[in-house]
Amino acid sequence: MSNPANHPGNKPTLNPTPAKPGAERKSDLVFVWPHLVTIEAIAALVTLVMLSLVATFVNAPLLGIANPEVTPNPAKAPWYFLGLQELLLHMHPSLAGVIVPTVVLLLLAAIPYYDRDKRGTGIWFSTKKGLPIAIFSAVYTAIWEIGLILFDEYFYQKCVTFDTAAGTCAETSTAFTFGFNRYEGAAHGIGPWLKISLGAPAWVAEILVPSLIMLFIPAWLWRIVHKRYQADKRELMIAMFSFFLASFIVLTIIGTAFRGHSMALVWPWQLTHPVE
Amino acid sequence: MLTLHQVRSAEVRRSVGLWDSIRQTTLWKSIYRNEYPDTPRNRVLVIMNSVVLHLHPVRVPRDQVRVTYTWGLGGLSLWMFLILTVTGVWLMFYYVPAVPQAYYSIKDIQENVIFGQFARNLHRWAAHAMVITVFLHMVRVFYTGSYKQPREFNWALGVVLLTVTWLLSFTGYLLPWDQLAYWAITVGAAMAKATPPPALGEIASRALLAGFEVSGPTLVRWYTLHVIFLPLAAIALMATHFWRVRKDGGISTPIPYDEPEADEASSADGGAD
Repeated sequence: MSNPANHPGNKPTLNPTPAKPGAERKSDLVFVWPHLVTIEAIAALVTLVMLSLVATFVNAPLLGIANPEVTPNPAKAPWYFLGLQELLLHMHPSLAGVIVPTVVLLLLAAIPYYDRDKRGTGIWFSTKKGLPIAIFSAVYTAIWEIGLILFDEYFYQKCVTFDTAAGTCAETSTAFTFGFNRYEGAAHGIGPWLKISLGAPAWVAEILVPSLIMLFIPAWLWRIVHKRYQADKRELMIAMFSFFLASFIVLTIIGTAFRGHSMALVWPWQLTHPVE
Repeated sequence: MLTLHQVRSAEVRRSVGLWDSIRQTTLWKSIYRNEYPDTPRNRVLVIMNSVVLHLHPVRVPRDQVRVTYTWGLGGLSLWMFLILTVTGVWLMFYYVPAVPQAYYSIKDIQENVIFGQFARNLHRWAAHAMVITVFLHMVRVFYTGSYKQPREFNWALGVVLLTVTWLLSFTGYLLPWDQLAYWAITVGAAMAKATPPPALGEIASRALLAGFEVSGPTLVRWYTLHVIFLPLAAIALMATHFWRVRKDGGISTPIPYDEPEADEASSADGGAD
């Protein structure tokens, strides 16, 4: 043990086994103490200090005692569920609240059972095309989803008679139009349009059409990435995961910062505290 | 041949200071079975002799300790869990899971308990932080391709752990019994009720609410899930997750594309050391 060549720290202390083709390439080995434990200790201390500072200066919210009689407007779930709550505005609750999250979690868990190639392990984005595909997929997803949300919000049913006293629409037409001045109580979005103007049954408007749209967006992305980037399985998975990640971020941000009274789209600075 | 290092160690051993004499006591030696880890031998022993440190291998490839490779997100998630356990126990000393005492006990914690407001704040912000670090850990593992075989099952376990993290946070959300908590959980429970088919949704909702609406029994149920069931589930899953990291050959190291794909099953055994 007293061989100076074994002196800890800077030199490899174990000869890596001869590299087999495709096997994990062992770089030089370093001792966990001190090379890893110092990093862990620093990370733990830094995050503890940062959290303590936040906890010292920012209090956790505590509103009035729970009151079933006073419904806040809007009533919102915790922020990490607001993406799902955003979906809820556009489709049947079974689809938005249960089927979509269940399917997404199952598909996430299934990724490694589809992508079986070991190559690309341990490398950020695996290939030269990985990062461009991830960025393209995220931008593609964000454009689709922001576009659909805006369309669902401002594609609205006309108000024939507006009750100024009540501030709501007393009589609506069956026609839909596009604009930024939708009235309270007037239906808006693709689903109501299918039901009211085209007489489609509820399951078509609330389940079938939203499902088809939600399947079309990643399916077309798959096709584009497959053709344009000549993507292999790993790169296709990068596209699909980026679709999931961008969806989660876009929907969560819109649900958190852009949904105000009656869950109408507002600017973040127009948000009011719904309850006292 | 003696290295300078060994000469210095020898000198330190000969010198008689307070620190040194403490380290010579039977009590100290019974706790720390090896000397300070500044020799290769002791650096091996310190990992193997410590219940906490022995989660690690003794040595790891240099690639794996690069901060920009992992960003330490898995470890930070565990760290958040530990902070949440400590602050959570502190809050449990004072919290009363009943309607309406729950709300007033939170007020009491904030106003009359020493470090009560701080403990509650730390618990709240660490909970948000854990949701974020667990999610980002998944993002890191995905984009570095670290889910690939032989780590498929551990990736799937990770997805379950992400779900448990969400549930832990969500069940804790109701406990202050204020308007924010009450209505957030009303929204969440309404989503559960939408589980198809309707009969199943009814069962899911009834089980979550312990009744027909968010009320006293709901609070007891969610409290129990939050402080016992879900933490135990998380601990069991984490233990398996960490154990599998070692059994699957340690955390991932680069497998470049320029080599032909290996057909043979991985014989890596990071758990050996």
